[in-house]
Amino acid sequence: MNKQIITSSKTGDNCIYVRHSSGLDIYICEMEGFSTVEALFGTKYGSINTMFKMRDDKEYTTVPEGIAHFLEHKLFENEDCDVFELYAKTGASGNAYTSFDRTCYLFSCSKNYQESLKILLDFVQKPYFTKANVDKEQGIIGQEIQMTNDNPEWRVFFNMLRCMYHNHPVKIDIAGTIESIAQIDADLLYKCYNTFYNLNNMVLSIAGNVKADEVLAICDEYLKPCEDKGLETVFPEEPETIVQSEIHEKQPVGTPIFHIGYKCTPCDEKERLIQNIAMCIASSIITDVSSDMYNRLLKEGVLNSTFSGEIFCGDGYFSVIFAGESNDPVKVRDSIVAEVKNISENGIPEKTFQRIKKSMYGAMIRQLNNVEAVASMMLGANMSGIGPYDTIDMISGMTSDMVLEYMRRELREDRLVLSVVEGTEND
Amino acid sequence: MKYNRTEIDNNVGFTSITDPKFKTAHISVRFITELSEETASANVIATDVLTYSTKSLPALSLLNEKLSSLYGANLASYSVKKGDSQILGINVSYIVNRYAIDGEDIEAEMTGLLIESIFCPNATDGKFDEESFSITKKELLDRIESEINNKRGYALARATETAFRGEPAEVMSYGTRKTAENVTAESAYSAYMNLLKTAPVEITYVAPEENPTVLEMFSKSFASVYRNSGKINFSTPSPLKPEVITESEEFDVRQCKMVMAFKYDCPDKYAVKMLNTIWGETPVSKLFLNVREKMSLCYYCATRVNKYKKTIFVDIGVERNNIEKAKAEILHQLDEIRSGNITDDEITSAVLSLDNALTSVGDTPSSYSGWYFDCLCDGDIITPEECFGKYKAVTKEDIINAGKSLTLDSVYIMYDKEEQK
Repeated sequence: MNKQIITSSKTGDNCIYVRHSSGLDIYICEMEGFSTVEALFGTKYGSINTMFKMRDDKEYTTVPEGIAHFLEHKLFENEDCDVFELYAKTGASGNAYTSFDRTCYLFSCSKNYQESLKILLDFVQKPYFTKANVDKEQGIIGQEIQMTNDNPEWRVFFNMLRCMYHNHPVKIDIAGTIESIAQIDADLLYKCYNTFYNLNNMVLSIAGNVKADEVLAICDEYLKPCEDKGLETVFPEEPETIVQSEIHEKQPVGTPIFHIGYKCTPCDEKERLIQNIAMCIASSIITDVSSDMYNRLLKEGVLNSTFSGEIFCGDGYFSVIFAGESNDPVKVRDSIVAEVKNISENGIPEKTFQRIKKSMYGAMIRQLNNVEAVASMMLGANMSGIGPYDTIDMISGMTSDMVLEYMRRELREDRLVLSVVEGTEND
Repeated sequence: MKYNRTEIDNNVGFTSITDPKFKTAHISVRFITELSEETASANVIATDVLTYSTKSLPALSLLNEKLSSLYGANLASYSVKKGDSQILGINVSYIVNRYAIDGEDIEAEMTGLLIESIFCPNATDGKFDEESFSITKKELLDRIESEINNKRGYALARATETAFRGEPAEVMSYGTRKTAENVTAESAYSAYMNLLKTAPVEITYVAPEENPTVLEMFSKSFASVYRNSGKINFSTPSPLKPEVITESEEFDVRQCKMVMAFKYDCPDKYAVKMLNTIWGETPVSKLFLNVREKMSLCYYCATRVNKYKKTIFVDIGVERNNIEKAKAEILHQLDEIRSGNITDDEITSAVLSLDNALTSVGDTPSSYSGWYFDCLCDGDIITPEECFGKYKAVTKEDIINAGKSLTLDSVYIMYDKEEQK
């Protein structure tokens, strides 16, 4: 097994990468002086992967919305016990999450990390689904769905995605709906498990108070070799245009909350990193507290400090999102459009550009100071097809001309969506 | 790790924690005062204004330029309550000098900025700068309005009000809409001067290396202020109501929320924390395993302790039809503990879970800062390792006795409108 040391040219930080004989990609970061350990075992399988096939399958399989998340819940139940009971014996805090393009099982602990790692590797490779345990989960997930439906931040985001995407499954709720999860049974769960929980499609990332040799010895013992069966996921054809430009929903909220999103051109993994950094700098310039636009809207009482920018991207989708609270979200949208036009025509002041880059560099250093963040960074980078330190190393090479080029090309007014959740009359 | 605390002025403590593993540093200045409806909002707005502009950087845009050019350094304020007290904090965090690409002395700049924000606020003629004040006031009003956005948090806040009615702790840490609306640039400045002169202050400095200059700068600055400050007592147990009261509201929501408040008089805080962990704090707790996993009634059902008010809150998101069933099971699981139905495995896993949380204290500058401040509030400075020893010493009998000392005090329910129709 070949241990490759990956080093950041900017900070000198390093981690170990191993392509394990089982097919699994493993990242280990030994962090001297830290007490805790964070481990993530993830598969490139999320809510958007609703249509797939293996190399030998003739046809694509389509599965109900929310099944990746349902599977995540169910994997915590072994044939003989609940996984939490096993973690309770080591003191680790176990958890899991499903997002659009990944499902991750994780634990954090301060002692007995080797035992907890064995539990993690073991249970994720040992599915146990029955009619009874699937039925039981419907009630729990049903309540989770209801809870997120009452969350205005969640609603405003998904309403925006539904206005942005015609066909891409990124517009569907990660947990599905009460109706869609009712279609899930044990057989379907096994089908999805056997497709996506192949070690060739998975990553292990572990950081903190660990020793690489100890981690790898456990991996050798617990990982079952997997044949790469040539997984193919497909997404429906997605037009470049948006579905509709504005959506409003009533919910009990205080100040109305908004998401303003530009639908951008999706790109492959390599191009995505550059576009991501460029658009991240662009959105930081627009949401910069020192900018004329933000300052004016702040003084007028149209915006408050919740105003922020975010890049949201993955397979077949890419968008730049501005979120916040405002009594006049339309004015915020129009101001952003005007600011984008202004920057596109007049360029980015070099002083502002360098300041924003410095700020992003500082955020990266802070990330490297935190066990949990380092483990997430290594896993996230692998799943995005890049190296752990590529982002921090690439920021320094970014020029304002590159950012401008992306802004001019991607931030188009006809690809803009405004989503608002505002209070009901009785609030 | 090296820990050192000195008193640098009348009721001004300076705690220094050095740990070479960190790439960032964190300085926190906490003002501690009695929580009251009259002053809560003014105190919050006042400390917020300090982080919006200073005498030499008299506009938010200028302050932000300074912070982002120092590699995105952070200057922020916050307010929390502990017992019947209001804590108003101003923090800075920044990457340490060795990571400065252009060789800046980030630590000197940020310490200077923090001291300037505290001792040279952007104020003239007894009032804060009008622009900074108005923006900050609006921020607070928006925050109060937006409480309802987080339904679980809102329900817990209302349950807290209900449980501590008539006590200072019933007030939110930032006051109410009405009190916030009444704050002026003058009254906020006057509230701040009062804090600076009378509130006990705790400064915590966490960094990879010692830097005596930071202590010297704070000592010198506080020496210029005439202070007359008394001690604050954090432990203010809430009296049990003569009868259980239930309060409810209706909202246009899909899931109901219920929060039950239990008061206790058990003097052993370690036994209470163990009880809380076994009852509803982890995924192997009695409430998680029974209310969620066995009965499928909810996604979350959890307990939390307010040790200063000697109260445990249990909260759950549940369908209207299942509220009574959930309530009965929550009480039943408490009865199980009181009857001694606690396994050795449950006790061991609670100790391990608490140990896990305690050991992680040293892994971030802010958690170090929070730990030692909490110790000061408890009047008992111990290391996380010593605290672990105290949990380990708790016996099954201690947990049973802690359970027996719990009595239901009040219940808050957020109902859905649709269902009732």
